[in-house]
Amino acid sequence: MSRLSNWLPTNWQWFNRLGSPRWFYHRSERWLPWLSLAALLVLATGLVWGLAFAPEDAKQGNSFRIIYIHVPAAFLAQSGYFIMAIAGAIGLIWKMKISYMVMKAAAPIGAALTFIALFTGAVWGKPTWGAYWVWDARITSMLILLFLYAGVMALQYAYHSVDAASKASAILALVGTVNIPIINKSVDWWYTLHQPATIKLTSAPSMHMDMFMPLLVMIVGFYLFYAVALILHTRNEILRRERKTSWVRELATAKAGG
Amino acid sequence: MYFESIEALLNMSGHGVYVWSSVAVTLAAMLWLVSAPLLNHRALLKEVNRDIQRQQDRELALKATVPTDNHKESH
Repeated sequence: MSRLSNWLPTNWQWFNRLGSPRWFYHRSERWLPWLSLAALLVLATGLVWGLAFAPEDAKQGNSFRIIYIHVPAAFLAQSGYFIMAIAGAIGLIWKMKISYMVMKAAAPIGAALTFIALFTGAVWGKPTWGAYWVWDARITSMLILLFLYAGVMALQYAYHSVDAASKASAILALVGTVNIPIINKSVDWWYTLHQPATIKLTSAPSMHMDMFMPLLVMIVGFYLFYAVALILHTRNEILRRERKTSWVRELATAKAGG
Repeated sequence: MYFESIEALLNMSGHGVYVWSSVAVTLAAMLWLVSAPLLNHRALLKEVNRDIQRQQDRELALKATVPTDNHKESH
């Protein structure tokens, strides 16, 4: 790993600045209000549109409206896993402190989103398949995703040294990426109850535009929400790990005085 | 609106229980994802202040137990 870092670029200014927890902490304070407002507006629009204005599904009736939270949550549960694994890889290669903090922050968010996807899927399954839970390839691989997130969270507390915990978590996160293509392909590889993907990058959506537009809005909203949650969790991790530094101490005194 | 009334929207021809319980659990989980770190943030800053206070108290206590006169005599 250390030899790899010799020929990979490390001297870009933006890269170094982004790697500074202090810089990130101060800069993200300016991003948060705008991101939060955007997330709130987009999510509210998508939810009202999808729940109250989109037409109902010819086969599934109104239960299909669960798609407007189920698919974005499942989408972000997987994207979030990539973000966590890539952050872990950057930490391993460049020993960038902040990327380990991002990795740690991403784990509980991803776990919660995976839980949302599994829960809404189960509730949707009842009126559609007649069962809350089936040991279907898609559902099982999503459950494995939840365990991977839980594993990364647990490893953070399994070591006394922060550095050892970060490295172990990063390796688990990277190994676990194998599961992501399995989740994606599970509906094609195995005979499953789960319906095939609604959205594919390579072809037109298998859905009417009136139903598809609010789904797209919800996915954008979930991405914005994810960004807000990740920044909030990362900022706390920065405070936790840098609490002995003078800048955090000055910040705390200023906050207490004001 | 696709539904004729608010009641129809809540009922969703029998599927309302499934849809609205999904929405409720999702919103609760999302709210937790942002409220927990916000509360934690305040607690962390307070903790840092407590650390600073404790350190200052310790330094003061140390000064009090070692009088300056004794200090000079020992040299």
